Amino acid sequence: MIEAVVLAFVAGGLVGVSRQLNGRLAVSTSALFASFCNHLVGFVLLTAIGLVIGGLVSDGAFSGPWHIYFGGPVGVVFVALSSWIVGQIGATRSTMLIIAGQVLGGVALDWALTGKAVSPTALCGIVLIVAGVLVAQRQRASTAN
Amino acid sequence: MSSPRIDLAANLAALAAGALLSLMVHLNGEAARQGGALFSSWLAHGTGTVAALLVIPLWWRAIQRSAAPRAAIPLWAYLGGFAGAVTVIMTSTAVNSALALSGTVALGLAGQIVFSLAADQWGLFGIAKRRLRLGDAIALGLIVAGSALVIWGSL
Repeated sequence: MIEAVVLAFVAGGLVGVSRQLNGRLAVSTSALFASFCNHLVGFVLLTAIGLVIGGLVSDGAFSGPWHIYFGGPVGVVFVALSSWIVGQIGATRSTMLIIAGQVLGGVALDWALTGKAVSPTALCGIVLIVAGVLVAQRQRASTAN
Repeated sequence: MSSPRIDLAANLAALAAGALLSLMVHLNGEAARQGGALFSSWLAHGTGTVAALLVIPLWWRAIQRSAAPRAAIPLWAYLGGFAGAVTVIMTSTAVNSALALSGTVALGLAGQIVFSLAADQWGLFGIAKRRLRLGDAIALGLIVAGSALVIWGSL
């Protein structure tokens, strides 16, 4: 159990490391180029892992709906945006606003896909998130020092 | 360093990026349902590489013009994709433990936040140092509490 806790926590930290590295590359090049490198490097590594452990493409893996091919392109836009953002407003504010957008977007997407009503508890959560976003927006990001 | 207008644009872009992330997770989840987590991530990185190549005209000029000499870019700056790909392996392992999805997501968010605080504090990986302000700490608390309520209220 403790191994899984450490694994999940470190995985979250690595999301931050990835954003920081791509942000650093974007500062010297371009956000879209950083996103391209991110995807190419990840693809090469995952292909290598797949070849070593095998079973990368199982029977029927490609049989999903057409939109399974669009997670990647959406990810390119996501990585490009976040690579630019982190250089502008820093890691902490980038992280909290991306989380805010992700949760609010997730609620909207769930609602659009299932039509299920948002629970009162979740609604309270949405109010807190919006308040947090407004507080963050009210003050300028601290300048680099 | 950053003007109020750039600040506002970056804040809005971060919110939009988060919403895109939810869409991406949904789409990649559909791919994972058919082919598993490794296949889904591999497919996303492959189709993403192709998509980024298709829009070369949007970024080729920018990297030609970029002020920094190629040699000044540290090699490790190219390894963001490495960290991203390893993350997939780690989370798909954790999700199959007693933590399940909610535990993995919650710990992952905690790991992200702790790293980002450290990154700003010490200017990790070549991004400028930033002091954490009271307003940012309050905003962070509100967003974390709100996210916990949304996740809890949707179980």
